[in-house]
Amino acid sequence: MPAAFIVSVRETTSRLIAVETESGTPVVHLSGDWGRAVRPPSAAHVADTLDTGDQSRVVVDGAALDNAHPRVAAFVHALSQALGEVDVSLETRDLPSDVSALIALASPTPTATEQPRRPGLLARVGRRAGGQANTARNTANLVGHALALTPALISGRAQTRWRDFVELVRETGAASLPVVTVVNILIGAVLGFIGAVQLQTFGAGMYLADLVGIASAREMAAIMTAFIMAGRIGATFAAHLATMESNEEIDALRMIGVSPFEFLALPRLAALSLMMPLLFLYGATLAIVGGMIVAHIVLGTPPMAFVERLQDAMSVSEFVIGFVKSIAFGVLIALSSCYIGLNAGRNAAEVGRAATRTVVVCIIGIISIDAVAALCTNALGI
Amino acid sequence: MAELSDNQNLERGIVVRDLRLAFGDTLVQEALSFAIHPASIFVIMGVSGCGKSTLLRHMIDLARADQGDIVFDGMRLVTDDRLERAALQRRIGVLFQSTALWSSMTVGENVALPMQLHTKMGAGEIADQVAFKLALVGLAGQQSRMPSELSGGMQKRAGLARAIALDPDYLFLDEPSAGLDPITSQRLDALIMRLRDALKLSVIAVTHELPSIFTIADDSIYLDNHSKTAIAHGDPHRLVEQGPDRVRAFLKREPIEAEETESI
Repeated sequence: MPAAFIVSVRETTSRLIAVETESGTPVVHLSGDWGRAVRPPSAAHVADTLDTGDQSRVVVDGAALDNAHPRVAAFVHALSQALGEVDVSLETRDLPSDVSALIALASPTPTATEQPRRPGLLARVGRRAGGQANTARNTANLVGHALALTPALISGRAQTRWRDFVELVRETGAASLPVVTVVNILIGAVLGFIGAVQLQTFGAGMYLADLVGIASAREMAAIMTAFIMAGRIGATFAAHLATMESNEEIDALRMIGVSPFEFLALPRLAALSLMMPLLFLYGATLAIVGGMIVAHIVLGTPPMAFVERLQDAMSVSEFVIGFVKSIAFGVLIALSSCYIGLNAGRNAAEVGRAATRTVVVCIIGIISIDAVAALCTNALGI
Repeated sequence: MAELSDNQNLERGIVVRDLRLAFGDTLVQEALSFAIHPASIFVIMGVSGCGKSTLLRHMIDLARADQGDIVFDGMRLVTDDRLERAALQRRIGVLFQSTALWSSMTVGENVALPMQLHTKMGAGEIADQVAFKLALVGLAGQQSRMPSELSGGMQKRAGLARAIALDPDYLFLDEPSAGLDPITSQRLDALIMRLRDALKLSVIAVTHELPSIFTIADDSIYLDNHSKTAIAHGDPHRLVEQGPDRVRAFLKREPIEAEETESI
């Protein structure tokens, strides 16, 4: 910052306020145009530097003010509060009437509400722990509820609307195809490219099909598709249900005796756990195609040779592992988004927070499930 | 209040006995006892934040009190018997403050859903019922519109049509005229009274709109947020002349003494 500017700020401040002492009582003279001040003086600073000595009062004089700006009122109010804390009273003199009126309006009313006391550390820790236990119990409840209602859903006895389910299948399935296509082809191509460059140095370029095929089917296609669905569908579900909650729409459902879980969460759970594995198969195939294209361009491998190598290298179990994981990811995304959405608070900020929380929870959950699955398949030697 | 205790054993209508409403440690209202006669319009009034809507949520079992009883026609509202609960729920219609129309369904589907879930009516009959209920509230032929395409007053009417979809005995209204202009609000009042007469409904309304209170109320209760209980009970036309000071001030829209000025 140029030196001249700092000086000008100081000058402005000094022109706005001056402290004198009249027969022992400190008098704060306010002057000039506070509306134009770049940085008006801070009341806390003035209160700290004011030497009240043994005086129990301070006078604020506004005779030299150019105009009645609300900033002056805010300053005097803050100064009076700050001095009040050290039992010094503030008197005003010659303040413009508009400013005095504003200050009077801001003075506390006799029935000012009591500030709620912040609970102690122990109480806060206890509450947080209790809250966590509550969340754990609710989650267990939710999973149990979902399992218990699955037969009703399959037999069509659940309180859900068939049309909602069809629309949800379209939204989660068909409508997700473009983004699933793009991401999986590119992931396959990236895997192919990295693999091609590395394998080529050992003259092992023909094994590229093994690398791309196994990586896509076992891991990448399932994980990437789940990430996409967490961001695309999980966030949508959470925001939708949270908005319904804040509009009292969930209450309206309860009033006609409908369980919000059955009516809203169950069709979403069914749609996602049905569509996720299908999207995975589609995504894995496209990722392999992506790798095949790169193999053709970089290594000059003919597509038919790539497919033949793939047949030798891969077994059905690679696809089964990815398939089963993608069902688990679908259940995770549906349950966590519906749980978070239905338990969100009743305001606009909570809707956004619910969407964000869902995505974060889903990403962590997806990676955790994947890690556990990797350990299990390794131990089982699959 | 001797007249109140005489009414405590109504065979028809709603009786509330010694209800205490609280959020955790914060007391909202306590010692609430009153009776609501069948086919009357009962208004719960009071200043903002006094617990009117909270009382309403307890009366429709969306919240449960730790103390007190709510009895509908001799049946306890709070019950763990699913069938009893469902039967009682069918007899209660609610118009929420934000209307709470299901935003992803058309107006017609909104009115139809309670019937689809609770009755054995066929699709044709439900369609006829929907058309009839919408015509009752002055929304004939609006079945296929989405709630977001309706004006505020029309949304309230659609909410009313949904609330009376199952021909309830009790209709609960949470701030029915909130956010409506005086003329629309007056029309809604007239509609509520017509519905009460035609369908023999008991209407329980939470409101602080004075013109509404004087137009529709047969009986009322005033929830006071200083003493945390009901300080007046009766016809608002009588209360405005003879009620306690605070109730008269509320009903006449006069300032209360300075010491009682609430932070807004």
